[in-house]
Amino acid sequence: MSRSVRRAPLSRLLLVAIGLFYLLPMLSMARFAFQRVPMYLLDRDTLLTKWTFMPLVDAVRRPEFATAALLSVRLAAIAAVLTLVLLLPTLVYAHVSLPAARPVLDTIAVLPFVVPAIALVVGISGAFRPIAPWFISSDLSLVPFYVVIALPYTYRSIDNALSALDLRTLVDASRSLGAGWPRIVWQVVIPNVRGGLATAALLVATVVLGEFTVASLLLKETLPLYLAYSQGADPQGTFAIGLALMVVTAGLLGAINRASARRGGATVTGVM
Amino acid sequence: MRGGPSNGRAPVAVVRAWMPLVPFMGFVGLFLLWPAVVVFRRALEQLDAVRAPMLEAITGQYGNNFAFSLRLSALTALLGVVIGTATAVAVVRLGQASTTRNLIIGWSAVAANLGGLPLAFAFIAALGKQGLITRLLSELGIDLIGAGFDIAGFWGIVLAYLYFQFPLMTLVMVPAIEGLRASWRESAANLGADTTTYWRLVGLPILAPPIISGFLLLLANAFSAYATAYALSAGGSRLIPVQIRFFLQGNTITGKANLGYALAAWMIIVMVVTMGGFLALRRRAERWRA
Repeated sequence: MSRSVRRAPLSRLLLVAIGLFYLLPMLSMARFAFQRVPMYLLDRDTLLTKWTFMPLVDAVRRPEFATAALLSVRLAAIAAVLTLVLLLPTLVYAHVSLPAARPVLDTIAVLPFVVPAIALVVGISGAFRPIAPWFISSDLSLVPFYVVIALPYTYRSIDNALSALDLRTLVDASRSLGAGWPRIVWQVVIPNVRGGLATAALLVATVVLGEFTVASLLLKETLPLYLAYSQGADPQGTFAIGLALMVVTAGLLGAINRASARRGGATVTGVM
Repeated sequence: MRGGPSNGRAPVAVVRAWMPLVPFMGFVGLFLLWPAVVVFRRALEQLDAVRAPMLEAITGQYGNNFAFSLRLSALTALLGVVIGTATAVAVVRLGQASTTRNLIIGWSAVAANLGGLPLAFAFIAALGKQGLITRLLSELGIDLIGAGFDIAGFWGIVLAYLYFQFPLMTLVMVPAIEGLRASWRESAANLGADTTTYWRLVGLPILAPPIISGFLLLLANAFSAYATAYALSAGGSRLIPVQIRFFLQGNTITGKANLGYALAAWMIIVMVVTMGGFLALRRRAERWRA
């Protein structure tokens, strides 16, 4: 009895410490981004003065920001659509007609984990530059690589959604009513796995908003790259955009987790 | 349950059954496997170099950098395992309804996926020369910069990596710790075990597989990270991913013959070992649960 009482403060102390560790970097970043008081003038008197959202407002008004944001949004949208087009028919077919292929597909889906982005980009340079330089120079060349990088997560979310259905019965019933494959996927499967598909699309968006390595080395000016380029000229505005980007990412991940929790599936842990 | 047309049919039927999977497999083959194969093919070409690039990449200066990368990754993984697991234990102890518990688990799911430039910015704002925590500490009489701390150095990168390592380990461990039954603890107590004995003989052996797989996951996670370290060090870190960048400067592989490919190849080998171990352990744990 006395032991558990004595142990409790220790675990509370740990939670306070970990809370501070999570909170302080974010607070520091917010102060830097939104308070117009240089660090050497910061003291008790100035602590609450000159807080303003203007650095963020000014930063997002720059045309270069709009260009980068537009590219990132375009990449996210195209990569999300490509992910669904590629994964959904494949997985529906494997679930219904070829269960023997599922372990193989499961393994393929985790392969991106073993090729770090920096190694992938070395391979991309070596593989595509000599034979398809036009491909590498296009901004949209990032799309297939983002589909691949997000694959371990997107595959899980769609596979889980399909596993939760009695897909075989659904398909047999639709077929006996005369529906062909396109109609089955479009009118029967998709309405039943909407949550999983939405989760997959949000996961792609999260990856695209955070990916720096491949974009940086292929010289594409996406949003994360814009942060690197504008940091020198406008550190305050850049930190403000960085913070906003983290808030958006946190919102996306929160939505993903809530959606998965509601479906009773595993939540996104960054693991799988 | 099995209805796949591939069982015991003629090869033609098997091929036809697998045909619909070709677009997906072809896609992964073209945009993941082919680049990876090119990395290894080029890494194994000697060209005019005196020594094979694969050897050069793990000896001398580059060998030191590999050791530096692995040391840093292992340290953040170890600290991540200890603190992340302790946090998971503390959080589970709070009970299902606790707000603190939900806050910490919810934030962990976010923070485990943060990284890149924004995370580096946060740590520069906190612990850089003009950082808020640096300043707070100096008010308390602790001179961080004077003591040799540099956000771009070894310990700076370690701290920033811990920001995603702690929560990742917490997320791995919470379900495992929740799986420990209260009755096991009571039985142990009835048999005369105190808390230390319970953890040594019951708790830890049960939690060992998730702890080991968590360590491998964190190791791989830190070893493959690039953007945060790059931004913290302004491209000057000795970490292998940042080193590889030198060979991609100007958008083409330059400098020492194929050394960039060899460094990338070794990275993939490290990832296959660590992530492979993680996935194998994980699969075994899942089979148990089922």
